[in-house]
Amino acid sequence: MDRSTDAQIVERVLRGDAELYAELVKRYRDRYARYALHMLGNREDAEEALQDAFTRAYRSLARCEDPERFGAWLFRILVNRCRTVGARRGRRSRTFVSDDLALLEAAEDHPADRTAWREEIDRALSRLRPEQREAFLLKYVEELGYDEMSRLTGAGVSALKMRVMRACDRLRELLSDVRDDREVRVERGFPEVNDAKHS
Amino acid sequence: MRRARADVLLAVVASCVSLFAAAAGAQAPNEVRLARLDSSTRTTVLALADSARRDHLPSEPLVDKALEGSQKGADGARIVTAVRGLYAELRTARAALGASASTDEINAGANALHAGLPMRNLAQLRSASQHAGRARVTVPLTVVTDLVARGVPVAVASDVVLSLARAGLRDADFTMFQRNVRLDIERGADASTAAQTRARGAALRGGRSS
Amino acid sequence: MRSIPERWINRVVAELRRPVRVGDDFDDKVMNVVRGMPPHRFGAWSRAIRPRTITISPLLSGIAAALLLAVTLSVGHLIGATRTARASSPRADLASDRGGSTHTAKRRPVQFVLVAPTARKVQVVGDFNDWDATHEEFRAQHRGGGVWSVTAAVPEGHHRYSFVVDDSVWVTDPTAPRVLDDDFGLPNSALVVEGGDVGR
Repeated sequence: MDRSTDAQIVERVLRGDAELYAELVKRYRDRYARYALHMLGNREDAEEALQDAFTRAYRSLARCEDPERFGAWLFRILVNRCRTVGARRGRRSRTFVSDDLALLEAAEDHPADRTAWREEIDRALSRLRPEQREAFLLKYVEELGYDEMSRLTGAGVSALKMRVMRACDRLRELLSDVRDDREVRVERGFPEVNDAKHS
Repeated sequence: MRRARADVLLAVVASCVSLFAAAAGAQAPNEVRLARLDSSTRTTVLALADSARRDHLPSEPLVDKALEGSQKGADGARIVTAVRGLYAELRTARAALGASASTDEINAGANALHAGLPMRNLAQLRSASQHAGRARVTVPLTVVTDLVARGVPVAVASDVVLSLARAGLRDADFTMFQRNVRLDIERGADASTAAQTRARGAALRGGRSS
Repeated sequence: MRSIPERWINRVVAELRRPVRVGDDFDDKVMNVVRGMPPHRFGAWSRAIRPRTITISPLLSGIAAALLLAVTLSVGHLIGATRTARASSPRADLASDRGGSTHTAKRRPVQFVLVAPTARKVQVVGDFNDWDATHEEFRAQHRGGGVWSVTAAVPEGHHRYSFVVDDSVWVTDPTAPRVLDDDFGLPNSALVVEGGDVGR
């Protein structure tokens, strides 16, 4: 169980201990791969964006204002890289779903069911506008507060809330026909999500 | 306006610092690396490092020695004593090995002197190696230090390594020789006997022809 | 505002929150790029010398520019003079400060192995990491059967080092050449990393 904080490692890397940067890579790459994968829709682009983020972070490490929050700073770089990569490549066709599933660590209880459900979600996500997808992932998957999302994306809080709402609407539309073994129908008209706990 | 002036001054100072640091080719400044020492010890060590640089001696080993002492829980006085002692050994090693000695040779030479090797043995090793066409003596110095540390009398260790250097033994063979002697000693052999026996074998296999 | 079914969202989000792993060679790819970049050098000082946005009056900016130019010219002259002096000195390129050579010397992977069946933690410390036992890249992993090992990048040249077991016990490397380091009552091992200085 390693004990060095991010700040300690950043300090050493800045003093010339470049190899130690591998520890930071190890700490964050899986966590942030998830965001990159859902944002960009395929593993190749996701790994490219993630790799790019790490190398850029290394290059500009001296500009990390608060090394204690290296992770958040790195994530901001990644969000930007995903925007760039996404814009440049456009949307790729969603092939290699099995490839994506190969990335999953968790044991599969019902692989076939999960495959279908996951495919549907991924397809629906890919059909969102990029800024809506970004907002949705940051809010619900990465569980950030709106203030932090605003800092990350540069967008205002109300604009972000609107994007999240629209993303949810669109996703529900796209996923309304999906059947899950465990539920017969998609629920509608339930109480609103309580945002208080997220902000 | 005051803040703007302060920022400007900072930019100027920062530029100077970065230019100087770039010119010096420095790693993290030693002041930073030695921060964990008390200020009096740190000042002394830094002064010794400066002296070493003026003497054209490597100063890095002195800083390393201080850091080692700090990590091993030594007090300031003991650290300073160790650093001063190392300084003297570095100077002697350089004198014995010649002005063209590399930093690594001087370091290894200092270790050998600390182990008890007389200065003249270092000079002889250099001379023997040059005649055998060997460029560096870092590894032979490391090996002779190890032999002494494992109980081989200084005179025997020195003779053995000198003879191997004259025979033109390469670094890889020196390393193998050290390993064999170590294993023999660990298995209970007399250190002297092990060293001399293995040296005979190494000299047979080694040499310029191989 | 339309209501969002919480249960529905939770199912989607639960699926999207499942862990993801990158390819096995991801770390290597990143570090290969990192190794090719100019190394950082100044530690905490880097933040002091990073570019800053300065907003000042035209007059002050003129003064600042002139001052900066004057300083730069004089320092540049000093550097030039220093470098010339160094180049012409017969010893300049030889017994160089290992501070420079240690940290700019090429690094090579070195495996450190210690058999310590009852250890809970084994760390390699030496002059290549300021004798600091908190460097994670020099922390050994237990491979089973009491065998601890770590492979780390060490600059070419001569080094002194030791193992620290359980943050308290200093142990020399049994297989490495010894150094009679009685300065602090705890012995060390020697290591010569091939490449720069050694060889025929």
